[in-house]
Amino acid sequence: MIISTSWLADYVQIPAGVDSLVERLLMSGLNHESTNTVGGDTAVEIEVTSNRSDCLGQIGVAREAAVLFGRPLHVPDPRPLEGAGRAAASVSVTIDAAQFCPYYSCRVLRGVRVGPSPAWLVERLATIGIESVNNIVDITNYVMFECGQPLHAFDLGRLRGGRIIVRRAVAGETFTAINHKSYTLTEQMCVIADVEGPVALAGVMGGAESEIGPQTVDVLLESAQFAPLAVRAAARGLVLSSPSSYRFERLPDPAAVDWASRRAAAMILDLAGGTLEQGVVEAGRLACSPAEIDLRPNRLEEVLGIGIPAERQRAILTGLGFVELGGVEDLAAGAVRWRAPSWRRDVWREIDLVEEVARIEGYAAIPENRPISARPIDLSARELAVRAVSEVLVAAGMCEAMTRSVVSEPLEAMASPWGQPEPLVVTPALVRGADRLRRTLLPSLLEARAGNMAVAAPHGELFEVARAYIGRKPATASGGDASPVEEPLLVAAVTAAGFAAAKGLAEALLARLGIGEAQAVTFRPIELDLFSRGRAAEIVLHGATAAERIGVVGEFSRRALDRAGLEATAAGVELRLDRLDFAIGRDRPLRRPSDYPAIERDLNLVVDEAIAWGDIEAAIRSGAGQLLERCRLVEIWKDAERLGHGRKSVVVSLRLRSDSGTLSSDDAKRAVDAVINSCSSHCGAVLR
Amino acid sequence: MATVSLDAFLAEIDRLRIDATAALSAAVDAPALEAARVEFLGAKSGRLKSIQKLLGGLAADDRPAGGRHFNELKQAVSDALEGAQQRLADGGESIEPIDVTLPGDPPRLGHLHPITQTIRRVQEIMSRLGFESVDGPEVEDQWHNFEALAIGAEHPARDPLDNFYLAVAQGTDPLLLRSQTSTVQIRVMERRKPPLRIVSLGRVYRPDTADATHYPMFHQVEGLLVEPGTTMAHLKSVLRMFASSFLGGDVHVRFRPSFFPFTEPSVEVDMEWGGRWIEMGGAGMVDPAVLEAVGYDPDSVSGFAFGLGVERIAARRYGVADIRDFYRNDVRFLSQF
Repeated sequence: MIISTSWLADYVQIPAGVDSLVERLLMSGLNHESTNTVGGDTAVEIEVTSNRSDCLGQIGVAREAAVLFGRPLHVPDPRPLEGAGRAAASVSVTIDAAQFCPYYSCRVLRGVRVGPSPAWLVERLATIGIESVNNIVDITNYVMFECGQPLHAFDLGRLRGGRIIVRRAVAGETFTAINHKSYTLTEQMCVIADVEGPVALAGVMGGAESEIGPQTVDVLLESAQFAPLAVRAAARGLVLSSPSSYRFERLPDPAAVDWASRRAAAMILDLAGGTLEQGVVEAGRLACSPAEIDLRPNRLEEVLGIGIPAERQRAILTGLGFVELGGVEDLAAGAVRWRAPSWRRDVWREIDLVEEVARIEGYAAIPENRPISARPIDLSARELAVRAVSEVLVAAGMCEAMTRSVVSEPLEAMASPWGQPEPLVVTPALVRGADRLRRTLLPSLLEARAGNMAVAAPHGELFEVARAYIGRKPATASGGDASPVEEPLLVAAVTAAGFAAAKGLAEALLARLGIGEAQAVTFRPIELDLFSRGRAAEIVLHGATAAERIGVVGEFSRRALDRAGLEATAAGVELRLDRLDFAIGRDRPLRRPSDYPAIERDLNLVVDEAIAWGDIEAAIRSGAGQLLERCRLVEIWKDAERLGHGRKSVVVSLRLRSDSGTLSSDDAKRAVDAVINSCSSHCGAVLR
Repeated sequence: MATVSLDAFLAEIDRLRIDATAALSAAVDAPALEAARVEFLGAKSGRLKSIQKLLGGLAADDRPAGGRHFNELKQAVSDALEGAQQRLADGGESIEPIDVTLPGDPPRLGHLHPITQTIRRVQEIMSRLGFESVDGPEVEDQWHNFEALAIGAEHPARDPLDNFYLAVAQGTDPLLLRSQTSTVQIRVMERRKPPLRIVSLGRVYRPDTADATHYPMFHQVEGLLVEPGTTMAHLKSVLRMFASSFLGGDVHVRFRPSFFPFTEPSVEVDMEWGGRWIEMGGAGMVDPAVLEAVGYDPDSVSGFAFGLGVERIAARRYGVADIRDFYRNDVRFLSQF
């Protein structure tokens, strides 16, 4: 919204310069955008919040300025002289879409001379960035920018049948606007039609056929109320916003409907001559029911923390157009009942009155040193878990990425470790081609890794902590607290290294989360199209009652790498943090390091190739018992000649230590023998 | 009568200094060092001793100067011997000197995303003020994203073009990606009774075309305090404490009237930074309609809420000119934080 300072001076004399005006408006709710000199005038562009349609006209801003500077406001009261003829005899109005148009009115002027506008009018419009068209069109624009109520002038001679019909557009109906572009309409839009077809897109733009031109002699001057939804549907649906649609979307002052019509009629008579026919032709009911609001005396202090004297409250509200109602009986002690002005439909509650007084008085006086009481709080388990895993991954040399929650179809379509319900599609797409909520973070991280490779930054070791979205939950009766979609919180990481490195990350993360000692975690082979066959595992947490998949780890399949645009290989891990935050806050028993020396023993076990390391390790642990401090795999090798076909050698290094004394070689021997026996009976191992 | 000229004497001294320093620093083990010591500092026939004998051959006038130079030499050679002994004691006998300007071997360091770092900083400051961090779903229903926040069915904020709605079957409640983290505040208020101090934070989504200052996915931090007797003075005081911690120094805040559906009065919050007022976010007193929507009594409790755009403050804090850089995930960018 642009104001012209010379225009503003028609309504209020401000005893200060433009800078001071701008500052006061800024501090009372009209944000300053820019100030520019246009000819001999000054244009001040301000930002008007969506609740303040009253400030979409010069008069509304003048009213604010009058209150802020304590000056009187002068608003003209136009009384155009009516001549011969009755408007009702010239035209009739029917509303067939009351939900789109509650009220429609028009006046009729005959014998006008369409021509250029006088210089002062051209200049004022120029200040606010509006080009002059002709005197009639300029006047309708001028009045709209004066009071905020949009008007439209039709060439009455071009309206067919002497009838105005306000109706819902017929789907597929076409309409040529005054910009000479053709638009196809939908049923969500409202049109002004004559007996043959649409002549205006209600509240948005007039039609080319009935526009005012040099040939125009008779004018139909429309002033109406249109519903914001219908106007928005047309303006947005057709990408055809106008100053008129902008105002109708924000509900202009109902009292301005007739004022604007009178004002424009008077100006037309003045600047273009002609005769105004008697009366207003109207249809519908003008919706205007200003709120009556009680303001309790201490309410301001309760909200603001400072009091504002009653006389000052009264002066501000009166200046803004609120009317104090006398003789009210059912009123709390000391309270005042106010009636809101017609142009302030945003003010209808006591708290709204409080804001009105406060914003004019200014918030500067509100103290900024009120203490608040102390309160003990802690981070949630979830937050602690997020921090713990981030710490581990940063320490591992990885950078945290933030990738988009919405991905393209090829990335989403890959099997997620977390289920395969119907994809969740959003409209519009987040960015071009990306319209699906992701079910795993791994493909996004692969893409980010590919992006780094493309710019020759090969160290794309990345991780992310974010939600995924796994299908809509079945509707519950109560609604309440339940989130509508299952959103697991995931931590995922990708690395250039192979399976072992990714698994190492998984193990480090689980250890840091306090999982893996009291709770048994196992890695089991898994097939997912995200990973290479035979190079992936699911991570299963064995709880008291059930086993649950809480992670996956693996080397990515060529298909997954290709979809992400990655040539090199990569491995990754993803864990469900929302299932793994239960142990983070718990105190874990600390193990005091032993003061006694350790004994190291290496064993070379020969087993069948099919025996998994996990089984050998379990056998070693169960055999060694308490004394086993560490069991490390040194190497695995195969040699059909020396070991026999289908056999492998597994070299392990055991470290034995006691908490209570120095181990003797006999102690060590007993433990090692037990390990050998255990491996023999559980895995068929023989010592080499 | 002089038998040695001062010049010749000083030349001897210089020669010995060079030889001694070279020999002592070249000694790679204790025997070599001992041999060097005997050669230069030997009590009987050390070279220092020989020079001392020459001192007597100088002219009487030159003797004081010669003596001074001799004493300096003696000190220098003793120091060099001590240095060499120290070096050998440190076990450095076989150390090759290195070019200290050669590059170091950098450890590979990981980095938290600057957005995460900014959020953590805000969380940390707010937690000192008793605000607990909370989190909630990103896919939301109409009630939590709009209705409970006093955003009615006709409000332009609900326009399909201004939100990411999920395509769903007819007849089901439309869902959308949340457009603000206030949704979490509603969820917490529905579940808990006052007093309440929370900060909700996380990703939010609005269909803006990506440019240097917009991205369709971004982060918000929103604070909420609901306690009996809360006023705008408390809001201003908390924001000032936040600003002073976040920006450093004694920072003042300024309120400019604004409009949000879920607060009344509503204000824009400016903070004074480098002598200028900087827009930091929006705030206000929780609208009574919102308190009623979650089952609170607006006559017995009141509260305030405020919101900050994380990308905006992170961009300012780190001097990032284009917020799209936060989402490019370029390691060359990320590793600078």
